[in-house]
Amino acid sequence: MRDADLKALTGLCAKCGTCRTVCTLYPERKAEIAVARGKIALIDAAMSGEDNDADAVQEALTDCLLCGRCERACPNQVLVEEIVMKGRADLAEEVGIPAWKRVLFGKVMTSPAATGIARKAAAAGQRLLPGKIPTASGLHYRFPDGLGGEGRTVPKLPAKGFLESLGKGEAATGEVMLFVGCVFDHVFPEVGRASYETVKASGRSVAVFRDAACCGLPAMVSGDRRSATECAEANVRRLRAAEPGAIVFPCGSCLLMFKRNVFSLIPKGDPLYDDAVFVANHAVDYASFLLSSGVLDRLPEPSPVEKVGEIGYHDPCHLSGTLGKGPEAREVLSRAVGPAFAEMAGADLCCAYGGTFNMRDYSTSARIGENKVTAAVRGGTKVISTACSGCALQMRDMAARTDPSVRVVHIAELVHQALFRK
Amino acid sequence: MHAEALSALGNLFGDRLRTSLETRICYSFDATGKKFLPDAVVYPVNAEDVRQTVLLANFHRFPVVPRGAGSGFSGGSLPVQGGVVLSTERMDRIISIDTENLYAVVEPGVVTETLKLEARKRGLFYPPDPASLKFSTVGGNIAECAGGMCAVKYGVTRDYVLGLEAVLGTGELLRTGVATAKGVVGYDLTRMIVGSEGTLGIVTRATLRLIPLPEAAATLLALFHENRRSAETVNAIVAARVTPSAMELMDRTAIDCVQALMPVQLPEGTGSALLLEVDGAEGQVAREANLLTEVCHAHGAIEVRRASDAPGREELWKLRRSISPALRRVAPVKLNEDIVVPRSRLADMFAFLSDLSDRRNVRIVTFGHAGDGNIHVNIMVSGTDADEARRAEEAVAEVFHKTVEMGGTISGEHGVGISKAPFLEMEVGPLGVAVMKRLKACFDPNGILNPGKIFLDEAAVRV
Ligand SMILES: Cc1cc2nc3c(=O)[nH]c(=O)nc-3n(C[C@H](O)[C@H](O)[C@H](O)COP(=O)(O)OP(=O)(O)OC[C@H]3O[C@@H](n4cnc5c(N)ncnc54)[C@H](O)[C@@H]3O)c2cc1C
Ligand code: SF4
Ligand code: SF4
Ligand code: SF4
Repeated sequence: MRDADLKALTGLCAKCGTCRTVCTLYPERKAEIAVARGKIALIDAAMSGEDNDADAVQEALTDCLLCGRCERACPNQVLVEEIVMKGRADLAEEVGIPAWKRVLFGKVMTSPAATGIARKAAAAGQRLLPGKIPTASGLHYRFPDGLGGEGRTVPKLPAKGFLESLGKGEAATGEVMLFVGCVFDHVFPEVGRASYETVKASGRSVAVFRDAACCGLPAMVSGDRRSATECAEANVRRLRAAEPGAIVFPCGSCLLMFKRNVFSLIPKGDPLYDDAVFVANHAVDYASFLLSSGVLDRLPEPSPVEKVGEIGYHDPCHLSGTLGKGPEAREVLSRAVGPAFAEMAGADLCCAYGGTFNMRDYSTSARIGENKVTAAVRGGTKVISTACSGCALQMRDMAARTDPSVRVVHIAELVHQALFRK
Repeated sequence: MHAEALSALGNLFGDRLRTSLETRICYSFDATGKKFLPDAVVYPVNAEDVRQTVLLANFHRFPVVPRGAGSGFSGGSLPVQGGVVLSTERMDRIISIDTENLYAVVEPGVVTETLKLEARKRGLFYPPDPASLKFSTVGGNIAECAGGMCAVKYGVTRDYVLGLEAVLGTGELLRTGVATAKGVVGYDLTRMIVGSEGTLGIVTRATLRLIPLPEAAATLLALFHENRRSAETVNAIVAARVTPSAMELMDRTAIDCVQALMPVQLPEGTGSALLLEVDGAEGQVAREANLLTEVCHAHGAIEVRRASDAPGREELWKLRRSISPALRRVAPVKLNEDIVVPRSRLADMFAFLSDLSDRRNVRIVTFGHAGDGNIHVNIMVSGTDADEARRAEEAVAEVFHKTVEMGGTISGEHGVGISKAPFLEMEVGPLGVAVMKRLKACFDPNGILNPGKIFLDEAAVRV
């Protein structure tokens, strides 16, 4: 392994074991290899040459949700997420990246046109999949076993993405830029739409970022540093050129990419560094934007609700944890739905989507996710709201598996409902 | 290790035996930062698994090293002679909590805090609270006789162990002790195993005493200019006939370290801090907290902060619990000694340490359980400078000599392990060592359990 920064980062680990207590994966694995302390020891061993089996070390590093709970609990502020991602990237240069991921990230994700084409292909393919299962929304199809894990449900892809649904001239220029993200464009266009309409309610002119490449996070967490860098560079360049006054992100994971992770791809000294700083400084989560732009002042009094406390909020790890934006989303919810919102049991537990983790080890991901939904339901929650695309995908799947009557929504959809209620 | 031994373990454990280099690396360290590779790791789920492992070990002659969370500070869980690390992390059930007779029966891998929380839910209290309580295990606590913050009022792990089930070095399953408030039948084998660092038996189940949960508590942070003032205050508090449930001291560097990581603002000139806690009935807590505040001010406190609600108290405690790992930011290697001196000699010890630091030109950070006279003396080393390393070793030896001379002990709670093995005889004398070895031979005739610990001449260090 070659990354020069890694040694300095791992060197801070005191091997105290605090990370064992918070790790999302540890209760499932009950083995040191699953937690930050073990992974750091392995990276050190790989760097020192004690362990030359790059495949095996990579395998251990891949068994991680990058939820960052260890990092936030670590008394030494060891940057575990960065260490694991850097480790994966370094090892990927030795052992390569699995072919399916390479195709996905290398070719598909970097161009906006390509993601659209991929979506259409996937939507067409999906119609061929058997075993539609009925849910409240009717949106779920069952993957055949063997393709991505037993009993996985995925949302049926709509025929039209959000961007596609916009008129040619609509939302082409504006002072506020909306970064919808792949999932809220293609998979849940209703979230893209709700975000757009509610951001527009600020009265400021809003453009939707149509030239978006994938945010790059999926490639980055898979150790595909090259594709991730390509995505990040393309986005930073285009965003900088648009000179937005603010860039609003409905997805917490995309936001994390531009607020923090981007600097490990475009570090100080890089010609694009200043542009990346510009983007980071203007990037803002959806809830914070609503709070600062006065949209919520336009809300009518929340209508008297019969169902007090039935709406909960799931904290996306990246948004509430790493970026500390948990209170903002709650403030938005309280104002949009009033007493229908109540703290959900286990709100801050990771849903265990973990990006590609969910594809790699679906059964573990599902076990943790189901526990989360079950606890929430037992606590009286009927609608789970959130603000991250990965979480939305996971929570919908888990709700379909455990209790199909549970609705999973983005907070923007609730705000939209409140704002435009007749 | 022999292939035969490994395949026998494989038959027993299936995929709960791991021999990959990756897993072995993950069980090669503890919080000392030292590293010794085991040949294999097993994850028993019950006493029978443990017993079979030890029987095999006697047959094939390989070491068995029990390990809880690997948070030890004396190298107790390091497989210094290779062999099998037996990790108790999957024996983590609380079997029962008896709310009438006030005891809990637990497996060794239960995390200390989990037990405390479960007891608390029932209005009960399991007092032992090492700073590592969020991750260390009950088994590890018993094996090291872990102390903690509240030891000054409530005692240490030993005081809460009523009975044990343990696999001896012979593979026999010993049940010892009671589930009653008292018991004096025969020798106290239970206490024999407590603090034996996994060298006499592997604890597979423990019966632990619980007490009623105090009604209220208040935490105070008193800031002073220097350690000497803090030490005087500790003695003044005892003289005032209050028994706080914690009296923790932190020196200047320790405070700076934590401050760099946490948003706490401390006044100019803070050179030492005391973290104090009182618990008991509501009115009594308020009264005692007031009294402590007065005593602190009378002894030159710059400022005294108080928290009575749970989150506020937790904030203050987090400060204290973060020190040890945070020292990693001062220097990569720390020689962490946990000496105890009579409380009345604390101020003398601080004077000695400050002089020692100047004389030997080494950086020393002190913090710890001042109420017990138990202070953590951390000599900070870069790890790259040979001369500095030598000066540090000499400083450690001086600290130990001074401690024993003052009537103290060289380890209050971290145990001997490999770190203090060279100094064992200095404290307990040749006969003490000899009797200990006879006992060891009686529990573990073939030297299977955690070899190379406590006794220096067994330390055939391999890696
Ligand atoms: C940040 C930090 C703070 C700490 N603060 C304190 C403190 O305030 N007070 C204190 O006393 N200690 C403290 N420690 C030291 C350490 O946490 C304790 O010694 C603890 O008891 C070790 O528990 P463990 O589960 O990690 O055991 P390990 O480190 O895994 O093992 C410790 C010893 O116990 C043996 N052992 C483990 N399980 C068993 C078993 N089932 N049967 C027999 N032997 C067994 C091992 O062989 C080894 O000799 C601290 C450590 C850290 C990292
Ligand atoms: S909590 Fe931090 S310092 Fe402690 S073992 Fe985990 S990563 Fe290392
Ligand atoms: S990021 Fe999450 S899953 Fe990964 S080691 Fe840390 S706590 Fe565990
Ligand atoms: S998407 Fe789920 S797994 Fe990913 S950060 Fe959010 S909560 Fe954690």
